[in-house]
Amino acid sequence: MSDIVLKEVSKSFGTVSILEKVSMHIKSGEFIVFLGPSGCGKSTLLRMIAGLEQVNDGEIYIGGERVDQLPPNERGVAMVFQNYALYPHMSVRDNMSFGLQNVGTPKDEITRRVDDAARMLEITQLLERKPAQLSGGQRQRVAIGRAIVRDPKAFLLDEPLSNLDAGLRVRTRLELAQLHNRIKATMIFVTHDQTEAMTLATRIVVMNNRGIEQIGTPMEVYSRPATRFVASFVGSPAMNFLPVSALSDAGGQANVAFGGQNSLQTAIPASGLGKGQYTLGIRAESARITYGEGGIEATVDVVERLGERTLVYARLSDGAPIVAEDAGLSGVNAGDVVRIALDGKAAILFDESGRAFHAAA
Amino acid sequence: MSVAQQEAGTMTSAQTAKRGRSRGWDFGALLLTLVTVVFAVLWAFPIYWALVTTLKPESQVIGKSLDFLPRTWTFDAYWHVLVNTQIGRWYLNSLVTSVAVTVLTLAISAATAYALSQLRFPGRKLIYYTILASFMVPIAALIVNHFILMAQFGLINNWLGVIFPQLIHPVVIIVYKNFFDSVPKEFREAAKMDSASEWRIFTRIYLPMNWGITTALAIVTFIGAWNNFLWPFLAVSRPEMMNVAVGITQVNDAFGVAYARELAGAILAALLVAVLYLIFQRRVTQAIMLSAGIKG
Repeated sequence: MSDIVLKEVSKSFGTVSILEKVSMHIKSGEFIVFLGPSGCGKSTLLRMIAGLEQVNDGEIYIGGERVDQLPPNERGVAMVFQNYALYPHMSVRDNMSFGLQNVGTPKDEITRRVDDAARMLEITQLLERKPAQLSGGQRQRVAIGRAIVRDPKAFLLDEPLSNLDAGLRVRTRLELAQLHNRIKATMIFVTHDQTEAMTLATRIVVMNNRGIEQIGTPMEVYSRPATRFVASFVGSPAMNFLPVSALSDAGGQANVAFGGQNSLQTAIPASGLGKGQYTLGIRAESARITYGEGGIEATVDVVERLGERTLVYARLSDGAPIVAEDAGLSGVNAGDVVRIALDGKAAILFDESGRAFHAAA
Repeated sequence: MSVAQQEAGTMTSAQTAKRGRSRGWDFGALLLTLVTVVFAVLWAFPIYWALVTTLKPESQVIGKSLDFLPRTWTFDAYWHVLVNTQIGRWYLNSLVTSVAVTVLTLAISAATAYALSQLRFPGRKLIYYTILASFMVPIAALIVNHFILMAQFGLINNWLGVIFPQLIHPVVIIVYKNFFDSVPKEFREAAKMDSASEWRIFTRIYLPMNWGITTALAIVTFIGAWNNFLWPFLAVSRPEMMNVAVGITQVNDAFGVAYARELAGAILAALLVAVLYLIFQRRVTQAIMLSAGIKG
């Protein structure tokens, strides 16, 4: 078992607090993604698990053993760095062997492990080359290979796809998912790219402002965000946020008034809502252009034709911006007045602190 | 005339003007070239004169006429130096002491620089600033202290006595430290994750990654040690222990100074360094720029 447990872990650099009382339990074999904006502390947290940063407070356990006071090499984890950190003067084989040589692994065993990993990653033909003779994708594979040969309890990957071009990033992402399926190892992956997080993760840890906003499966994080930050950070285009002017109880569920004369019947239990200012959150796919009766009126600013769907950026009568979706072959143009049908069942309410209220699951 | 024709016309006249300039005399450039040639001749003349003198008989050297070429060509001076002096032994002494100084200086300086650059320990900055401050003390000012110290150790007229005081090269430490500082920290972290000890990180990662600067520093340190005169002159009095730079002062005879022979000795002494310089010209320039604080 290689569960990773963090108990109230804190980190500060001088007087600047980076992480405050972060706790989580990563199960063996999970593919966990730390997702968050730049400076939220996700890489620092990964480096604390790796042992490259000291923990100021709290405890870290890997495979049941407390490791927060151990040096990096005694934690049983391997790391893939953002710039790969392949030793430029060594061949690919030497790069992959270096860690095993340092712990006195017999030569035959090193050769076997390196050859096995190279076969798995399809880099056998590159073993005698130097890193400078490799493409970005090949270097990335070598960096993963260097981690694999050590047979670690967990793989820590610090934005490993960020140096690849768009096409290669998609391909490598898929290969990484396949690799995880094959070796079933615990993996922690740091990224600020929500697409990478959504496509790779067993669970996503959304981080912001020195702490964790939400831990959940990709669809939980997307459909039932715990906070307004998560709702705004995950998903493209970002969720629509419309200020609520009045809130009423309609058969036990909240009915919201917004954007002038508009109202929407939601499936959110009214009983949990208190007084105060609320914001209505709804994703673009739940705000669809309708050509019949009903819906709310909006004036189109910009139309983005994405092929399989069309994104319509519009304004309500009170000037509030909204993004709606239409079919790929939409006839909507900038300047048109359109009607948008909102799906009340998919609506979310956020209170002033940013806490989310959802329809009953 | 169309716009295209006008443009074509303009281009043609511009090209013509350029061609005219390149055909005409640029007097500024010409003057600069002449001045450069004059300085080059002034610089090279002593070397030429020394070389020509070694190929003249001694009688012609001390003669009153100014001969730019020998009237009689002879290798007597070289023959004398090679046969009647201990130049072979001096070459060996120079080689041993210069190689030892180079290897030890680089090993000590690289290890010191690595510690100052990568390790965190109390007094690290103080040590670094002390090394920087040592620049303010010229080596010549310490030469009496060195002599007394080596004499107390019983190392006068000994290879070790020649070598030890020449190992002080703060600039090598500073150049190495600057290079180690510029290695991305991920390499060190990756090596730590790979269970590498500090010694392994130093010898297997940092030194090979900075191999270029090591060779550059090795060449200038070697040349410096080979050409060093003052300290080896003080540290050694027995002719068989002299290095080649000191040894050539012994190329005289009962009749006093023999210019052709002395210059033949000097040319033989400088030969190895000249050859080394010609082979590693680029590396030497790089090292000089680095030690002057210009990162190439």
